[in-house]
Amino acid sequence: MTYEKTLLPETLISSDEIGQRKAFLEFADEDVARLESVNEVAIRYADAVIEDFYRHLLSFEETRAFFSDPDVLVHVQRMQKAYFTRLTQGNYDAEYVANRVRIGVVHERIGLPVKSYFGMYCFYLRSVMQRLQEEYKDRPERAFSVFASLMKLTFFDMGLATDTYIEARERTIQSQQEAIRELSTPVLLLRPGLLLLPIIGLIDTLRARQLTEQLLRAVRANRAKVVVIDVTGVPSVDTKVANHLVQAVEAARLMGALSIVTGIAPDIAQTMVRLGIDLMRITTVGDLQSGIEEAERLLGYTVRRTGDGAPPLAGVQP
Amino acid sequence: MNRVRAPVLKLGETLIASVQEALMDADLVGLRDELVADVKRYRATGVVIDVTVLDVLDSFAARTIRNIAQMTRLIGARTVIVGIQPDVAFAMVQLGLTLEGTETALDLEDGLALLDIQLGRERRV
Repeated sequence: MTYEKTLLPETLISSDEIGQRKAFLEFADEDVARLESVNEVAIRYADAVIEDFYRHLLSFEETRAFFSDPDVLVHVQRMQKAYFTRLTQGNYDAEYVANRVRIGVVHERIGLPVKSYFGMYCFYLRSVMQRLQEEYKDRPERAFSVFASLMKLTFFDMGLATDTYIEARERTIQSQQEAIRELSTPVLLLRPGLLLLPIIGLIDTLRARQLTEQLLRAVRANRAKVVVIDVTGVPSVDTKVANHLVQAVEAARLMGALSIVTGIAPDIAQTMVRLGIDLMRITTVGDLQSGIEEAERLLGYTVRRTGDGAPPLAGVQP
Repeated sequence: MNRVRAPVLKLGETLIASVQEALMDADLVGLRDELVADVKRYRATGVVIDVTVLDVLDSFAARTIRNIAQMTRLIGARTVIVGIQPDVAFAMVQLGLTLEGTETALDLEDGLALLDIQLGRERRV
């Protein structure tokens, strides 16, 4: 997968979406004001909090692995401090969100587990709670309300980052599905004028379309006269799949190529007859070998064993 | 008037209708009439209709082509349709237009070869 493709998910950073997320968390203007009011306190405690934070991170094997490079450690510590102070600077707008999402993309890319990510936030919140308690010893309700606002904001950030993780994974799955689809429909030239199309796996409408288009292009490019379509690898056939198959065969015929379908398993044959699928217009033979033999006969090839080739296998009579 | 859009060429006992541009329904009917008349006149035994340039074949065209094949057969000539492009073939099967009972070949060369085989003629090449 190319990294250029990891664009920011547009769905997460639209202003509608941001508004909805904030509304659900009841993150209001007074929360913004409350957070801004403790900015000076946050700056004062930033270094101590970050220090605690990394001591915690580095005391675990799993998270330590991400900071084996001292330069990386210095860099992320600086980033983390910037984020810590940013939390109390107000203006949690689209740019703020885009930044959070970008961090999520980076974390997903380096493979930081979600559990570590959540654990880090938990440690963060506990550490800040302790500091707030100290700072507002005589006004515990003040410490409590600031903490509540901070919690809303960090949950907002966590939601964004988690959705970024999920989105990135879904994109990976999608691109892999495409790759599988591409891989599974090769059209092979077996002899001049003879194409082999082995179909493996389920056929859905999209795949049937790609398959037919690939087959037709190959018919033209190779000037094929006969196509052997092998369905040994197709696990099940219903009316729709059979219809796709018939369409592929008929389209190839329009381009002057005759198709032979091979490898219909006995239970699939039973199902097809029970479903009333009529493949009478299509030439079908039992297995791939007979299909190729039939195709060679149609094209005027005769394959004969000369006897002076490779020695016969031990125990097998020629 | 049809000659501009689909001139009919004579090559030995074979007539070649070479479609040059998109055909209106009237052109198709004109081509049909001309081909049937020419088969009779030249005592042709084979007809090739080359549709390479067409990027669409609708139901009227498909029906007319089938009619041409059936009519020429009645007066002693085999018809082969050649040059249906992949996209056109795909669109046709989705519309259920399969030109059943009509011979098809990849291009003019294959079409002529097919006629030679079917009619038992000497191969030209």
